[in-house]
Amino acid sequence: MKTRQLATIVSVWLLLSTIWAQTKAKPTPGQFLPVAVSSASADNLLHGGPAAWNQIAVKHVALNRTPPLYDTDEPATLDIPSVDVRIARTGGNLLVQLSWRDSTHDAITLAEVPNTPPETRFRKVPTEADDRFFDAAAVMFPTKAASGAIAPSLQMGDAEHPVEIYYWNATRGAMVMQAQGRGTTRRTDRNFLANSTYQTGQWSVIFELPDLPAGTTVAFAVWNGRQKDRDGRKYFSVWQVLE
Amino acid sequence: MSKHQYAMVMDLNKCLGCQTCTIACKKLWTDRDGTGYMYWNNVETRPGLGYPRQWDRIGGGWKDGALQPSPLPTMDDYGHAWEYNYEQRLYEGKKQPVMPSPEPKSGVNWDEDVGGMNEQENYFFYLPRICNHCTHPACLEACPRKAVYKRDEDGIVVIDQDRCQGYRYCIKACPYKKIYFNEVTGKSEKCIFCYPRLEKGEVNACAAQCPGRLRFVGLLDDPESPVHKLVLVHKIALPLFPEKGTQPNVFYVPPFNPPKRENYGKSIQEDPRVPLDYLIYLFGPDVKDVIERLEAELKKTQEGGHSEALQLLIGRDGDTRYRIRPQLVQIQL
Repeated sequence: MKTRQLATIVSVWLLLSTIWAQTKAKPTPGQFLPVAVSSASADNLLHGGPAAWNQIAVKHVALNRTPPLYDTDEPATLDIPSVDVRIARTGGNLLVQLSWRDSTHDAITLAEVPNTPPETRFRKVPTEADDRFFDAAAVMFPTKAASGAIAPSLQMGDAEHPVEIYYWNATRGAMVMQAQGRGTTRRTDRNFLANSTYQTGQWSVIFELPDLPAGTTVAFAVWNGRQKDRDGRKYFSVWQVLE
Repeated sequence: MSKHQYAMVMDLNKCLGCQTCTIACKKLWTDRDGTGYMYWNNVETRPGLGYPRQWDRIGGGWKDGALQPSPLPTMDDYGHAWEYNYEQRLYEGKKQPVMPSPEPKSGVNWDEDVGGMNEQENYFFYLPRICNHCTHPACLEACPRKAVYKRDEDGIVVIDQDRCQGYRYCIKACPYKKIYFNEVTGKSEKCIFCYPRLEKGEVNACAAQCPGRLRFVGLLDDPESPVHKLVLVHKIALPLFPEKGTQPNVFYVPPFNPPKRENYGKSIQEDPRVPLDYLIYLFGPDVKDVIERLEAELKKTQEGGHSEALQLLIGRDGDTRYRIRPQLVQIQL
């Protein structure tokens, strides 16, 4: 137990020092994300399949695994080491395609809930399972344009630097979240357009983001439902900068 | 620590296992989509599997100040909630009998009245369970979103449905497995101690409907309340699994003297029908002292004396069993 606690402390320290370095340092060229100006419509990029993205440069972004944060966490593997990012600016929006390998497809179609009060129906929609979690991905960026080289805390922003999180879940769809520090993430009532495909062990998810200006910092996260990823149990990138 | 603490005492000697409390709760709170398998109040036969099955052995709670690991119970542990084909039978004129679907294979109180054996004699009793609204809730500590909170005014533990993201750390952390995940809403739910009723001066639905009149409700810190008297003055009610470390605020008067063949007048300690070890397993070693106290009170009345504790336990009317103080626990703005 003591070894595990020590390992946790060391890994949290390493993580925090990485994040601290990322927060303070100016981005190295490796952290810049190319942004293509596309003549294709946002709709075509969202729904046009791989062909619409073929001409857009890909950036291979390394993912880190959060260390176990609770003693009661189940073990997690390091099976998703990176995510491929493509970004296109078109028609007042920024479209981001995230692709990553995940050998397990953790997504279901939830039963439709009738639009009538449950007490008027014989049948209620059942909870089919209580112990499944789904694949997911997210893009995080500062709510306000950052000044200078200071990026918000990678741990969901901080009090002075709130962040927006565009979160997509393979079962529950797309939702916009806000946070100002670890443990503060809340759903807003806003949604956004997203489209996803899963083929031959590969997820490809396209997010329609607002028209973020060049120089904006963005970070990515991926969850693997099979190993009960949710919350801070995830793969994450450090901050990247839009070109 | 909250300013006040609502608590409940259940006298297990009076429970008939009729499930009226279960149905009162279900009709009021969990008759919605995704809640079919949820029993914020359930009554299980002891000894037995419990609901979800083996909940008392799978983990959670505190040890040496640290949360303890636990798997999530599965739907097999709860038993898949079934529905009946009423539409076909009643509206569509089909002649098949009314049948449940999916085929029931397990469920709440599935092992009803099986119990255990002690020297060739069967024994069992019923254990009604709600959320314990603990003083030191493991579920609250486990939630990274701070969606679980303890109401400062009355100590009731609730889940903010706006904050909850359905991570289910709370279900793992709860050693009593009294939080349920609603897959339709994607959020977790639990007993709310009927706080909307208490705020209007009405007692909890499970208590109000109980034909055995075994539930006592009030503020633990109100010297006039029956729960204060039973737990702190007469000291005849104990929490379930105190060693789990959460300090429950639901207390039980243990089943102390069910009759056994040819042992009239003998105490549970001399000739137990319910083995004392099993009661110690459920309520901790203090159960021995509680049984001694209960038997002493019984002896007192059998000898023509008066027992305030037993009069309170008889609790014929609601004024005796409940002391709801909405004005006391109102938030002072």
